[in-house]
Amino acid sequence: MRRLVYLSLIVLLIAASVNLQSQAAQSAPFSIQAPVELQPALSALYKARYNAEPFFVERDGDLIATDDPAFLPSGMGGVPPHFLPEAFFLLARPNAEAEAFVAYAVSADGQAALIEGGFLPKSVTVTDQAGNTIEVVQPVRRVITPYSIATYLVYGVGGSSRLVAGGYLGTRDPVGAARMTALDPRFPTLSGYTLNQREINIEQVAQLAPDLIITSARTAWLDTVRELNIPFVLLQGESPELLKQSVLLVGQLLGPNTAARAKAWIGYYDAILAQVVARTQDITERPKVLFVGESPLRVISGEMYQTDIIAAAGGQSVSAALKGYWNDVNLEQVALWNPEVIVIAPYGKITPQTFAESPEWAIIKAVQDGKVYKMPTWIAPWDTPVMDSVLGVIWLAQKLFPGRLTLDCAQEAMFFFKVFYDHDLPADEIAAVCGS
Amino acid sequence: MRLITSRAWRRDAAAVSSFRRQLAYSSLLLPIVLILLSLLLGLYNIQPQTIVKALLSLIFPQAAEGISATELTLILRIRLPRVLAAALIGAALAGTGAAFQGIFKNPLVDSNLLGVTSGAGFGAALALLLGGTALMVQGFAFGFGLLAVMLAYMGSRLYSSAPLIVLTLMGILIGSFFTSLTALTKYVADPLNTLPAITFWLLGGLTGVTWNSVPLLAAITLSGSLFLWAVRWRLNILSLGDAEATALGMNPTRLKLLIILCATLMTAAAVAVGGVIGWIGLVIPHAARLLVGTDHKQLMPMSLALGASFLLVIDNISRTLLPAEVPLGILTGLVGVPILIALLRRSQTVW
Repeated sequence: MRRLVYLSLIVLLIAASVNLQSQAAQSAPFSIQAPVELQPALSALYKARYNAEPFFVERDGDLIATDDPAFLPSGMGGVPPHFLPEAFFLLARPNAEAEAFVAYAVSADGQAALIEGGFLPKSVTVTDQAGNTIEVVQPVRRVITPYSIATYLVYGVGGSSRLVAGGYLGTRDPVGAARMTALDPRFPTLSGYTLNQREINIEQVAQLAPDLIITSARTAWLDTVRELNIPFVLLQGESPELLKQSVLLVGQLLGPNTAARAKAWIGYYDAILAQVVARTQDITERPKVLFVGESPLRVISGEMYQTDIIAAAGGQSVSAALKGYWNDVNLEQVALWNPEVIVIAPYGKITPQTFAESPEWAIIKAVQDGKVYKMPTWIAPWDTPVMDSVLGVIWLAQKLFPGRLTLDCAQEAMFFFKVFYDHDLPADEIAAVCGS
Repeated sequence: MRLITSRAWRRDAAAVSSFRRQLAYSSLLLPIVLILLSLLLGLYNIQPQTIVKALLSLIFPQAAEGISATELTLILRIRLPRVLAAALIGAALAGTGAAFQGIFKNPLVDSNLLGVTSGAGFGAALALLLGGTALMVQGFAFGFGLLAVMLAYMGSRLYSSAPLIVLTLMGILIGSFFTSLTALTKYVADPLNTLPAITFWLLGGLTGVTWNSVPLLAAITLSGSLFLWAVRWRLNILSLGDAEATALGMNPTRLKLLIILCATLMTAAAVAVGGVIGWIGLVIPHAARLLVGTDHKQLMPMSLALGASFLLVIDNISRTLLPAEVPLGILTGLVGVPILIALLRRSQTVW
């Protein structure tokens, strides 16, 4: 009799637990499939979000959390959202609640929950590109980027939700401003401050209460902002190696997801450069390229990033011996260089037409051959040290070696903006931009 | 005894004056020689006989045979307009500087005294801000240069009589007003493209000069120089003072107005083509005075010739020293300031 009671009790218990489990399955909005070692971190996240325990399954979950690189999309499929430095989410099937959870996991709040649970560090210590070592408390919720290049890096690594104010480039042009608003509806607010490398309204900054400032190493007002005790990180990315460094730096400062995106971009950049090299290494005579700014006789120096873009695309800059910033030259010097290709910076008002119509420029080979091109731009100018410059390399390599590359500017631009800016480009427009 | 001395002095004075006259007129050959020499200079190596042939081809087209299109374009379309522009601008700035120093009886002024350069600078900056073409930049520079001087003049008329000091003060006020407007333009300019363009323009340079810029500049500078030359002895009387001039049967106010108008037109045209090129209008008249004295009959041609020659030399340095152009405003300042200091120290001339 007693045995029977025990047995029935056990049966009841089992039934209850099964019932409980199915009840949990019914009440939890989605199931998570994750290896055991990731479950504590996920529980912490889930508790912070729903104040409940997550519903883990062994297979066929709605949401997959993993640290297995085999799950990473093969090739150029994009960067999945990372909640820990090596662990990321994959959505097995459409589920709005799971998607919201993923968004929460990579947000500052999600990062804070993981820090509280001890799964992420309380602060990161970085050495910036001016050589300063800075400790930045995590998560960074309010970042300001007076240096426009830094603004675009924050967008490119997927950290724009943490941005409270920033400097932008080329947005005084209505087309540029419209594109920026399409990318980020908050753009009019974010850009509405006195904020650039030369000047800053310190009271406005104090009111914005940023917990991080990312700016250029050549910023004029650093001493003023030191008084506010806000950590600042200085960037100086005027070469491919330094650019990669600055992308990684910005990524690391804003959490594991942005760090993963920064690393993915570095991989993409290296792969593109290697591909151009592979396709053009048998060419002994590098095409001579003249890169001009906003007037036909204003050319780049060898110290500017554009020189590296030309080199990466397989050409050589004729004005590489010049020093400093933009240089004014005369046509005799251009005739001495006799460039085979002329590239016009995206932001100038001059066009290939300007050269074609000038009787003086008719003596230059690039003009005679009709090889004068204006570099495209979409969000940030493709010739500046931003992540978009990889598109500048692809575009220029295509112009320098037509038919030699399998890369296509429009296609890569679509991919690049989707993956790194989370932004879908209008296909016809980007094709037109690339073709120009 | 006294009589003999006086005669000897007169003879000497006559000899000096005749020497100075000869010097002043022969100095006019200097820019012509320098223009020809400047055509030989350039970063692109061209044989002198090729240059002679190319120049001859302007009159005898068959002389151009055997010259490559590159060389022909460089000589006739790049170097020739540029050296002509340099000579014209130098002459205009120095000639107007001498005229202003004469009528304002002040050795430390140049033709920017009434704000023409500041006005022109703002006009160019505004045109660049509006995204104008090269022609629009020149037009705006010219127009705003004239406007600035007009405002200064009208401002001075607010007083019943217009003594020079009020006009000078108005010129300085209007000049600084336009300088502030230029600063405002730079402040709102896009740092990516417009701001560098404005900065380079304000430093002065002849990099972009082609034949398009030369005709108007030549017409204004040559006719203006002729006018200044024609009034050169009247400038002597004006520099004595208004009372003396009136006593000698002149209308000093009207003459001054004409000279100011002419100088303003010349300066505005020069600045419109070459940007802001400082110091020539101030330094060259002093150098000329050291050579030929204070008599405007010699001083005016000498200033015109020296100004043209000085800017030719400076521009030759600017376009051949380095692969990148050195802005003229920097070179004239670097060379002009030491020269001015040396001249002021050594010279015992009465201004």
